[in-house]
Amino acid sequence: MKQRRQIKLLTKTTSIYLVFTFAAFFFSALFLINETDEYINSELDRRYQWTEGKIISDIKKYGEVRKKRSYAIVSNIEKMPKHSTFPIYKDSLIQNEERESKLLYRKKTTFIDVDGRFFKVEMIQNISDFNRLQSDILGSLIPAFIILAIVIVLFNYFLSGYFFNPFNKILNQIKNYEVGKGSSVPNILTSTAEFSKMQQLFCNMVERTEREYTTLKEYTENMAHEIQTPLTIIRNKTDNLISNETVMNTQSSSVKIIYDEVNHLSKLGTALNLLTKIEHGEFSNKTVLHTKELIIKHVDSVTELAGLKGLKFELNLSNSHSINIDPILFDIILKNLVKNGLNYATNEGSIKIATDDKSLTISNYGSPLEFPNEKIFSRFSKENGSSSSVGLGLALVNKICQRNNLRIDYLYQDQQHYFIISKNPQ
Amino acid sequence: MKILIIEDNAELVYDLVQFLASYGYICQAAKTFAIAKEKIELYNYDLFVIDIGLPDGNGLELINSIKKIEYNSGIIIVTAKNAIEDKVRGLDLGADDYLTKPFHKEELNARIRSILRRNKFERNNEVFFNEMKIDLLAAQVFVNDKETVLTKKEYDLLLYFIDNKNRVITKESIAEHLWGDHIDQTDNFDFIYNHIKNLRKKIISNGGKDYIQSMYGMGYKFTE
Repeated sequence: MKQRRQIKLLTKTTSIYLVFTFAAFFFSALFLINETDEYINSELDRRYQWTEGKIISDIKKYGEVRKKRSYAIVSNIEKMPKHSTFPIYKDSLIQNEERESKLLYRKKTTFIDVDGRFFKVEMIQNISDFNRLQSDILGSLIPAFIILAIVIVLFNYFLSGYFFNPFNKILNQIKNYEVGKGSSVPNILTSTAEFSKMQQLFCNMVERTEREYTTLKEYTENMAHEIQTPLTIIRNKTDNLISNETVMNTQSSSVKIIYDEVNHLSKLGTALNLLTKIEHGEFSNKTVLHTKELIIKHVDSVTELAGLKGLKFELNLSNSHSINIDPILFDIILKNLVKNGLNYATNEGSIKIATDDKSLTISNYGSPLEFPNEKIFSRFSKENGSSSSVGLGLALVNKICQRNNLRIDYLYQDQQHYFIISKNPQ
Repeated sequence: MKILIIEDNAELVYDLVQFLASYGYICQAAKTFAIAKEKIELYNYDLFVIDIGLPDGNGLELINSIKKIEYNSGIIIVTAKNAIEDKVRGLDLGADDYLTKPFHKEELNARIRSILRRNKFERNNEVFFNEMKIDLLAAQVFVNDKETVLTKKEYDLLLYFIDNKNRVITKESIAEHLWGDHIDQTDNFDFIYNHIKNLRKKIISNGGKDYIQSMYGMGYKFTE
């Protein structure tokens, strides 16, 4: 399954929220700066016009500028320049004697025509205060944004645990839920509608699963148990037929088939029942088993059987190999792998059982599989020639491994079948 | 020799009664816990075959009643459940042996014989069959008074044959008797032939008759 990078929901929403807030702050700042610019310009224009008006009225009244103004220099010129760029505005820092510091001034250079006389007017206005207004706006917006961002991140960090507590509890319930182990899920109090809905759905799902599980379990158990009595009856009746010479002289092949198939069915019932029990985790008495002794004991008990088929065992066992598993399950693993070896091994070499610190390997010589390797652990996949085999042994082994954090591998190499059981990396 | 079979399935009871009667046992049956309890109190039996899963009670509880009244009677418990706890509990309560359904009737017969031989009233430590004598305590076999050395499996096989003489015993039944639970380890019982062959050879070499007949490729019959 292709996976995208995983980010926490709250981190995601917070990041997006921060981006939008930043954008909002940025555009507000632009707007405010623009507004202040307009205000400053109109205020300055108003002042320049007032000064210009004064100068014009002085010239009109007295023919010259009577009062020398520090913020306006008026000089006579011959003719009006043709430049259309006037008036010119220019900002510059000028030393202010009173304040003993350089202040920012804006100079407006313009030309006026008073009754046919031309004048060049240069007016300056202190704009330091106006500028401070602009930087004050930025100076208040930027910290406000930073404080907001910090608060949001801290909120995310500290409160997410609090708000997501019910969510995490529900997740834990889902994670730890095992079918067949108690049907009710404890209710987790939450005022968050989504979490509450999720929990409700989970509860419904558990209820449904448990119901179906119980039905299926009852069915398989009944099948496996109750089938044994009729099978015993059929077998007994067949036994009677086998002891009846009149019947056997004419029907021995049919009776033999019935007898064999009944035995097969009986084994099948037992194996399927066992498989179901394992699937439902009924053998959960896990202990750390040191396998050496157990393997030696089991091999001892089947050496004679193997000998009758001309097979030998070769053991290479480590003292340190151990598996954390219910002893009954390890017994089933061992039995079935050894049985598989006994059933399919050819006489070219021994059935080898080897353990080291990490793994258990059982191998035997034999012809290659008649079906794909990956099907070896599937139920009922068996060699055509071995119809007497139930076909569930390796499926049992595989199921046990899956449920006990063990990994089982099969490979065919140098005319040998290898089954390797190792601990799954945690 | 009186045997009470406590089992709720009529067909099974019928088969077992017929089978055991053919070996000369007097068999009675009880199909419920209540009937069984009544019979245990009213009559004397040498041996009880008890199915644990009765419709109206747990067969294990009958063991206590039996032990109070007839301490020396043999008890074999039978169950459909392959549950190790039941087996252990039954044996703890005083059952002599345990069988799991489905079992071979010859196996039941062999177990019954074994219990009856151990029973203190009979305490018969020797089994005779024509020119053969089996000393059960020493696990020795004599053919025409000559000791015939058999392997453990051959010895068990001979005793199984004698216990179930004149009856076809299937290979499955023999294999399960000889190998017990370990018979799961193989799906092919042809290897039994080797044991039969060796046993036959050893008996004949000491002047015994060949009693073992192969029947329809399904099993063997030990006939007089």
